[in-house]
Amino acid sequence: MIASVLDGIVLGLQFGLLAAGLTLVYGLGGVLNLAYGQMAVISAMATLFAIDAGVPALPAVGIGLAVGVVLGLVFDRTILRPIYRIQGEARVLLSLLLTLGVAFIVDGYLTWRYPTEGLTLRIGGGPIEILGVPMRRGSIVASAITLVALGALFAFFRGTTLGRAVRSVIEDEEGARLVGIDPQRMLRIILALSGLLAALVAVTQSMVRPVTVSAGFGITVFALIVTVVGGLGSVTGAMLAGIILGIVNNIAASYIGTFLSLIILLGAAAVTILIRPSGLLGVRE
Amino acid sequence: MLQVRGLTAGYQGGEVIRDVDFHVDSGEAVMIIGSNGAGKTTLFRSVLGLLTPSSGAVLFEGADIVGQPAQRIARLGISFVPAERRLFPRMTVQENLSLGAYPDRPDPETVELVMDLFPRLAERRRQHAGTMSGGEQQMLAMGRALMAKPRLLVLDEPTTGLAPKLAAEAYRALGVLRGRGLTVLVAEQQVPLAMALSDRGYVLENGVIELEGTSEALSKNPDVRRSYLGVT
Amino acid sequence: MTERFTEATGTSLIGGTEQRASRSLLALLLPIALIGAVLALVPLWLGDSRVQMGVAVVGLAFACYTIGFNLIFGSTGQLFLCVGALAGIGGYGGAILADTVGLPVIVSIVAATLAASLVGGLLSWIAVRRSLGVIFTGIITLIFALAFENLLLGLGGVSGGESGFPISSGADSFLRRQIPPYYVMLGLVLVFLLAHGLLRRSHVGWAFRALRDDEVAAELAGVDVARYRVYAALIGAAMLGMAGATYAFTEGRISPTTFGFAQVDVVVIVMLAFGGIGTLFGPILGAITFTAIDEVLIEFGQLRVLVYGILIILLFLWIPRGVIPTLQALFRRRRRL
Repeated sequence: MIASVLDGIVLGLQFGLLAAGLTLVYGLGGVLNLAYGQMAVISAMATLFAIDAGVPALPAVGIGLAVGVVLGLVFDRTILRPIYRIQGEARVLLSLLLTLGVAFIVDGYLTWRYPTEGLTLRIGGGPIEILGVPMRRGSIVASAITLVALGALFAFFRGTTLGRAVRSVIEDEEGARLVGIDPQRMLRIILALSGLLAALVAVTQSMVRPVTVSAGFGITVFALIVTVVGGLGSVTGAMLAGIILGIVNNIAASYIGTFLSLIILLGAAAVTILIRPSGLLGVRE
Repeated sequence: MLQVRGLTAGYQGGEVIRDVDFHVDSGEAVMIIGSNGAGKTTLFRSVLGLLTPSSGAVLFEGADIVGQPAQRIARLGISFVPAERRLFPRMTVQENLSLGAYPDRPDPETVELVMDLFPRLAERRRQHAGTMSGGEQQMLAMGRALMAKPRLLVLDEPTTGLAPKLAAEAYRALGVLRGRGLTVLVAEQQVPLAMALSDRGYVLENGVIELEGTSEALSKNPDVRRSYLGVT
Repeated sequence: MTERFTEATGTSLIGGTEQRASRSLLALLLPIALIGAVLALVPLWLGDSRVQMGVAVVGLAFACYTIGFNLIFGSTGQLFLCVGALAGIGGYGGAILADTVGLPVIVSIVAATLAASLVGGLLSWIAVRRSLGVIFTGIITLIFALAFENLLLGLGGVSGGESGFPISSGADSFLRRQIPPYYVMLGLVLVFLLAHGLLRRSHVGWAFRALRDDEVAAELAGVDVARYRVYAALIGAAMLGMAGATYAFTEGRISPTTFGFAQVDVVVIVMLAFGGIGTLFGPILGAITFTAIDEVLIEFGQLRVLVYGILIILLFLWIPRGVIPTLQALFRRRRRL
């Protein structure tokens, strides 16, 4: 039981970090990025190719992260241009459709070209004991990195001027403009950040289990569920929801089975939407 | 300092204000008065980059700022306190204020000034803006606008929803700021307070400037007295 | 939502123009009869190949799905991302009732249709009660679709799981032959078109248009927005269920991917967007076009997904209103000149 919970926390931290990227972009720009999972996959593939080309593990990971950032910026420059011209609900819808199109393009190409590829980062060394449960070293390292990343994220948003500026755009876009903050520029930064987060999660996930080329849509669905439950626009909410859902997922999976445990997750998301549409800590419209 | 000429603007192709001319000289306090729906908010939003006017010129210290986005205008030395205030509800008073200075770090002297003007804010530094009362939010909005050390402060109906005591406090603060050389442009429905503060004023009705003059002259104008000062 | 999109871009996502010229029944029946006549000729051309007839039947099934989705989304703006799942309730419901429970095929189809209809109505009712906007309705229905797919995969004992459900009921009936299923599905398409057309001309259709264009104004005018939304969902979902059930019996074998989100919903959205959201014949145009395109794309294998992606993007950037409304607009401009 404890093993399930611990595994769940490991999974949950990843969920949370992943969802953070998605929720920030929505909270800031009103854009729902359904190609998010594919961004993670591309970054994982970049790391894989780098390693295959002989680059040592750490720099290869760096390349993967850099690719993630670039993807975010490219997104801003290309697909999102037509979306920026619209406001409100229509913007979310159009972003949904266009990013879905991109997701199909990327997914279709990758699964056709590299159907069997997957990134796995093997972390050497034996299991580490936590609370009497032997945990794989890969899981521990992945969780440690995730926690550090979350800490950095937190520090950024609370402690730096830029981070506060980003938050202010989520809080009140017009108010932000009135103090001289450019929402477009902030969105660009956040998109780069979300690309980075997607890449980071892909890379750390690969320490626990292989990240395959076809994992894209599954990643997006999980990110979406956690985002919705945590509340669109709230990073803390995403984290909280991630951990809770990670634990729920694991406990359910060990007792009921993978398909039905996914239904429980989906059910949790549905219930949250129905009872509290703004999620656990979401931004109220 | 601020010159507006022939400004016409509206929403969805319609016109709310037409051919508006006014100016604000350095060191002055100017008021724009008019009834609800007269177009005061539309006027300010067009001048300050939140709305693109269909025609006209807006010159700030000689440079044409028409069509510039609000975030750029905010960095030119003009601070705007809109009617809805637009605070950051889940951020603290402290954070709201320090963002007012963006992109610079908050200047401790300015912070002190704001705290002196609005002691209530000093008591609530760590309170979330969204949980404060209307009056406190108005003060925070004004304080945040001041953090940018503006040369021109523009306020749209700052006394909306405020109890008379708080409204008076707000204008007292404006008076102090005027004394320190700040130029003020304010739109008001509650005219007496604005009149006491201002040197000059314009009457905006149905989207056009109907009257203009010194506050004194306006206060003696029978139409003004009837419509805005409640004198029958 | 749709008005804001219109304001901002000068175009409209939903573009059905009402035939103000002639409100006579003939104006409705004639095109439908024409379509029916033309489509009835297809077996003359493709009838020899079982595979090709199979594709044609699938195409007609998708036409039915698209008409149903059009009724729910196009008429009342409810973004139901569970088209496949509702059809799946029809398909799996019918299959289980006929094979496992032993009911006659017809009864199974009717019961499954009712089940799908009720679920659709329930989803709509929930969305209305909780005042879920378009986005959250979409998310909730997507969740339902994913949950349904996983339910089918998880309850292998009942549904046959990943490997699918072979349907033995009706195996020796006309439904499994080469050509009759085509005409059965074509019959459904024509009936659905007629139903939609009649609905549009009735006071119900008027209510739909009113609430789609401006919900607040509609409420003020006395339209019970909630009730009409649920009506649209009940009817649309019934269409989806009936089509799914009928299709299942003609196929003889269904699996979770027959009714999956990626396999059904995405395609239906593209078909409808292409034809014209809210128009009467848009679904037919979209279904025919994309069934044909899909056949061409078979060669590409996995790249089909890629091409679909490109199509979605081009579609929503260039002809967001769909082909029929764009043509109508062009026609009107030409007439003015």
